[in-house]
Amino acid sequence: MQLPFTANPHERQLIPDGRFTGPMPWVMAIMLFLSLLAAAAALALAHSANQGSMALSRQATVQILENDPDARIAQQRAVAASLRKRQDVHSVNIVPESEARALLEPWLGEVAEESEVPVPALIDVEFKRVPDADQLAAIRRALASTAPSIRIDGNAQWLKPWFELVRSLLLVALAILLLLLFATGATVALAVRGALNTHKATIEIIHMMGGTDVQVARLFQRRVALDALFGSALGLALAISVILLLGERVTALEPGLLSGASVPLYGWPLLLLIPLAVTALSMAMARWTVLSTLKKML
Amino acid sequence: MQSVAEFDNVGLRYGTGAETLTDVSFKLYPGSFYFLTGASGAGKTSLLKLLYLAHRPSRGAIRMFGEDLVAMPRKRLPGFRRRIGVVFQDFRLVPHLSAFDNIALPLRIAGISERDLEGPVNEMLDWIGLTERASARPATLSGGEQQRVAIARAVIGRPEMLVADEPTGNVDPDMALRLLKLFAALNRLGTTVVVATHDIHLLQEIEGAQMMRLDKGRLSDPTGALRHPPRPLVLRN
Repeated sequence: MQLPFTANPHERQLIPDGRFTGPMPWVMAIMLFLSLLAAAAALALAHSANQGSMALSRQATVQILENDPDARIAQQRAVAASLRKRQDVHSVNIVPESEARALLEPWLGEVAEESEVPVPALIDVEFKRVPDADQLAAIRRALASTAPSIRIDGNAQWLKPWFELVRSLLLVALAILLLLLFATGATVALAVRGALNTHKATIEIIHMMGGTDVQVARLFQRRVALDALFGSALGLALAISVILLLGERVTALEPGLLSGASVPLYGWPLLLLIPLAVTALSMAMARWTVLSTLKKML
Repeated sequence: MQSVAEFDNVGLRYGTGAETLTDVSFKLYPGSFYFLTGASGAGKTSLLKLLYLAHRPSRGAIRMFGEDLVAMPRKRLPGFRRRIGVVFQDFRLVPHLSAFDNIALPLRIAGISERDLEGPVNEMLDWIGLTERASARPATLSGGEQQRVAIARAVIGRPEMLVADEPTGNVDPDMALRLLKLFAALNRLGTTVVVATHDIHLLQEIEGAQMMRLDKGRLSDPTGALRHPPRPLVLRN
């Protein structure tokens, strides 16, 4: 197989083909597998932050803490009607009292309908854009005459630490990806230096016959490219299997913060580019290593 | 007449040791034939290494093919090396290549196509009597056969200068004479030949060849020929 920027069939005889016998392809496969997982995690987190979680952060919960049940329900309806008239509100849903009681169950146990424990009347509001604290305070002030005990909690406020965590995880995933690419480059450099040492006598002969450093570099570029392609194919196959398996698990989750944490469609071509980038990086690293090492010879 | 190689007060030292070559000065003229003699350790191989550009001198000036070698950038050396054929004392055949591929090596490095190199390489194999062993690897060849392959590799590219370090050390007298005839034939075609040897009989085979003698790293020319223009060669026998 003639690869671009590599030696022709007769030139390549100069260095015996030792691919698949050394650890290089297997190390490349492991590096690529881990790189793809890191990249997939970064893509999934970015997608999750942009899609599912962004929808959640546009939501707010209105609580009416009125002791008198009849007044509470009346205020709940009035507040919901006022909110529906606002331009910045996308949708308003009155949360049934039974659902509100169910939300308290983990803390208070089963709360009977006749119980004297007052359960706040809840309204879920979805805004057209993520509301800021000032906007929510203005709405609360405007509705205070209708429901004096009204409280409005924006999801964006409690989601802020989650977003910060996602951003941190995204940065960590990208850092891991870069470190793995760096480690791959270093592995190639070490392997090429070892091979140069092994074939030093042959390289000296090639030099004495008038061979150039670039001719020698092409021999190693081909070997490294084949090792990288084999390692990439193996690493890619393993990584895709794991990513699809984890994707299925995430899809099976209840809608929530992690529900959007899967590799988006636009992410797959990006993931497939990584093996090609690793192969190109390996060839470039092999060339640089050979040329910089041979520079020290006459 | 422009010289092929010109050494002016050249000294060569390996590391921090004593000088292996001291104040070596001479000129090699195109189309001439030189024998380089001297006892073991006199510096013959070191002098040849300077000639085939495997080392740069520690001091002094070297001009090759009219250009200053000491100041020459490294990237220009391959082009000059292709003009020089080398027979190494230890043959230095590529162990995993066949006799054919070893002989074809300089042509492949120079970018000659497979179609164009096949004829000359087969002709050379025939000339050194190794046609039947074209696909044999060096490890399966005798010392003499390896030496013949090494010589064939050195001359296949019709170099402007041929440098040979003890080229007949492992072959029988008949083959030594045949190889010498090959060198003389190349020389008649214009190749400057430098042969390092301590085979006295070899020196007597070529009348008109000039002699350089190294003694403890210093050069002398007992025939005085280095100071005069080269004479036409006469091969005895």
